[in-house]
Amino acid sequence: MKRILSSITDGRGFDVGLVSLPLAFLFVLSGLPLVYNVVMSFQEVDMFSLGSFSRPFVGFKNYIDLFGQPETWPILLNTAIFVTASIAGQFLIGFGLALFFWVSFPGASWLRGLFLVSWVMPGLVVGAIWNWILSGDFGVLNFLLRETGVISGNIFWRSDPSYSLWAVIIANIWLGTSFNMILLSVGLSGIPKDLYEAAELDGANAFQRFWTITLPMMRSTIGAIVALGLIFTLQQFDLFAAITSGGPNNTSNVTQYWAWDLSFRQYDFAKGATISVIMIVFVMFASVVYVRSTRHEVRG
Amino acid sequence: MSDTFRNRLMLAVALVLAAIYLFPLYWMYITALKTGSAMFATPPKFWPSEPQWSIYAHVWESRNMGRYLWNSLVIAFGSVALIAVLGVGCAYVLARYRNVWVDIGLFLILMLQVLPASLMVTPIFVGFSQVGLLDTPRLAVILAIAAKSMPFFVVLVRATFMSVPMELEEAALVDGNSRIGAFFNIVLPLARNGILVSAILIFMQAFGEFVYSKSMIQAVELQPASVGLNTFMGPNTNEWNNIMAYATIYVTPILAAFILLQRRIVSGLTSGALK
Amino acid sequence: MTLQIELNGVNKFYGSYHALKNIDLAIEEGTFVALVGPSGCGKSTLLRSLAGLEKISAGEMKIAGARMNDVPPRKRDVAMVFQSYALYPHMTVEENLTYSLRIRGVKKAEALRAAAEVATTTGLSHLMKRYPRELSGGQRQRVAMSRAIIRHPKAFLFDEPLSNLDAALRVHMRKEIRALHDRLGATSVYVTHDQIEAMTMADHVVVMRDGIIEQQGRPLDLYDRPANRFVAGFIGSPAMNFIPAVVEQDGRHLALDLGATQARLALVETVPAGASVTVGIRPEHIRIVGAGQGALDIPVGVVESTGSATYITSATQPELMVVETGRSAAVGGELIGLAIDPAQLHLFDAETGNRLGIGRAHESEKFAPRAAPHPAAATFSPS
Repeated sequence: MKRILSSITDGRGFDVGLVSLPLAFLFVLSGLPLVYNVVMSFQEVDMFSLGSFSRPFVGFKNYIDLFGQPETWPILLNTAIFVTASIAGQFLIGFGLALFFWVSFPGASWLRGLFLVSWVMPGLVVGAIWNWILSGDFGVLNFLLRETGVISGNIFWRSDPSYSLWAVIIANIWLGTSFNMILLSVGLSGIPKDLYEAAELDGANAFQRFWTITLPMMRSTIGAIVALGLIFTLQQFDLFAAITSGGPNNTSNVTQYWAWDLSFRQYDFAKGATISVIMIVFVMFASVVYVRSTRHEVRG
Repeated sequence: MSDTFRNRLMLAVALVLAAIYLFPLYWMYITALKTGSAMFATPPKFWPSEPQWSIYAHVWESRNMGRYLWNSLVIAFGSVALIAVLGVGCAYVLARYRNVWVDIGLFLILMLQVLPASLMVTPIFVGFSQVGLLDTPRLAVILAIAAKSMPFFVVLVRATFMSVPMELEEAALVDGNSRIGAFFNIVLPLARNGILVSAILIFMQAFGEFVYSKSMIQAVELQPASVGLNTFMGPNTNEWNNIMAYATIYVTPILAAFILLQRRIVSGLTSGALK
Repeated sequence: MTLQIELNGVNKFYGSYHALKNIDLAIEEGTFVALVGPSGCGKSTLLRSLAGLEKISAGEMKIAGARMNDVPPRKRDVAMVFQSYALYPHMTVEENLTYSLRIRGVKKAEALRAAAEVATTTGLSHLMKRYPRELSGGQRQRVAMSRAIIRHPKAFLFDEPLSNLDAALRVHMRKEIRALHDRLGATSVYVTHDQIEAMTMADHVVVMRDGIIEQQGRPLDLYDRPANRFVAGFIGSPAMNFIPAVVEQDGRHLALDLGATQARLALVETVPAGASVTVGIRPEHIRIVGAGQGALDIPVGVVESTGSATYITSATQPELMVVETGRSAAVGGELIGLAIDPAQLHLFDAETGNRLGIGRAHESEKFAPRAAPHPAAATFSPS
């Protein structure tokens, strides 16, 4: 007993104590649900069997049924479009802004930080604002596009099947751009200034310096940011709930919203679990990429 | 081109960019002050001619916002407290050692950080309902948020602890302190700012949390403001000025806190996310 | 004198890495011991093991007669000065000084009095309310020292405490730390990679490499009689010259292998004939004479002068260096003769690097006449 006590005050016992409680907590509240999710995807779960632990196992039936549904492939495709377009938009605009704010002038870092308000706001509020901006007859975006001559008639962003997904993508790009920009700024400021001075002496122009120094030096940062973007866009739920609810007719539905919709709107928990398992495997793959690209910093 | 002129030009361009980027926020504040007819006017007015200041009191009363915000606060404070108590020690140990176990622990935590809430909510909901946790739905949401956000907190706070030199703790040990004493006397005070900033970030996230609350809290009187806003919007609403007033009341405290602490939040965030 | 620190067969492993290998060390009370060696030699690990910051894997460690293997740092009653000083940044100088006393339950008034007393002797009295970030490097160093002194510990442990100071301050602090040690009569263990610090400050120098103690003893003994080639090369600046050689059949002469040139040197003691050896000659023990008048001739390569001394490197053997006090007339390309006192030679086994024979430099005059028969040695005259 004395030994254990002195280990806690002076030795490894202190560390073990500090780390074991949170890990146990995470195991119970993240690890177990993860396993339970996989179990449920092989079971038949309905409103009646929800409360009991002994539910009939049905093998791969849920998976087979899922891919037999007509909306499955379009929703997967939507997810791919949503992720790709969001990341591309966030990254390109974010990189542009980061490069602009890289030039130091008074107030640059404060103004740059201000952009991050889009990221700290509750997702549902962002969704509500964009819902209103994108509204068909009275939306300010349609007004601006009409005035500048980009469009002739109003676009019904939320209810037109060919635009509904893009309504969410626009909102998501707005939401995530600032985060991309901040991280890219950190990466840019990590490039030693004397590299540019050396390149300039070697005769490289601004464009050549960008391609031969900035981009290669940013490679691990860019890798981490794209992987983080993938992780964050796959977590995006609030905007769908606030703007289109996946409609009309699933044209703006994506897997992470669909999984929730199956479970909590249609009470088909087994299907919800099934689609969750598929997506979680995918997200984990993305996070391995993320961890790998920040590995050297993780290990210090 | 002189330096001052260049600086002013850059600042002007930056202000324009910021104005464009933050326009949706401006539109929220402006819409809230418009009358019902001004709201649907074509062309829309970019400056409210007759601001309706009474709308805030009206929305606060009619939507029972006090209750919603109180629930949001309870959930946010509960989550932050739980995460801080559990996460600080974990982050400290992960920062202090470099070995295979720490690498594995860190890897697992980074993995947990990426699990989307909307995908995890199904098993958590079913599991919680089976163990009876849904009888105390706000506690259930706090637990779920804590499990979701703790990894992020641990990653951020770990970066803070890594910036506290190990020698300081060792000096305290040689000076006669125990591990516990050195942790509370030396390490914790030096990491205080980083922990605080991380806690504020977690608080902001938890304050706006939606998926878990929407799924697990059925009773209206226990729902947070995010669920309240969702209910308010409905599918075919016309009350955009009221909704924007609701949103204004909801986010203004967060935005104010962010702008006050901006520099620290940004540096805390960037040190953790990439390191 | 009683033994203050005793190490018997101490070993330390980090996983499969063997950081300390069977360390035996006995330090008497009041001794100033320097642990010196290249980076990664284990000297810091040894010091941290003494402090209790590292747990030793095997062996026994005693401080003041008590076994310390499993005693946590706080109960060892040793004080440590860190390389980075490790001043608590959120405490004033005064709070830094009194911290250890307060933890031990000393009354505040008493702790403040002790701090004031120590601050007077170290010249910190006017800085007591400052924070570490407001101090200069030298002042921080003094605070770190004072923080150790205030406790009257059983032993002081120093982990390269001067390496963050500039050269001039370092020389000054060297003397100050030694004076402090003498005044307090404390036992001190001082880790450094700088052999000059070790030589000038310590009573007892421990040279380490790859986790083992290569040699320990009084500083000048290490200089005069290095136990092996490593110590010979490590102690002394500029470093000793090493030349491969073979002992001739008579056992009294060496044939130096200098590539193109050959040279013979007389030996002052008998070494097994035919043995392959490495000859060590300190640059300061070689005299420059006219070409053909010394044991060997070399063409002058690089000539570096510091004003007080001149370093001359051979053009054909870049590793062969001579030091001449004051200015030198030598010019690059010129041929010069080198006179070598046979009594100042160090012989090491070519294979093992261990010292051969017992030759002592300070006995050179006694041996000098015996070298006379050899023409090369004849040019040497004790000055």
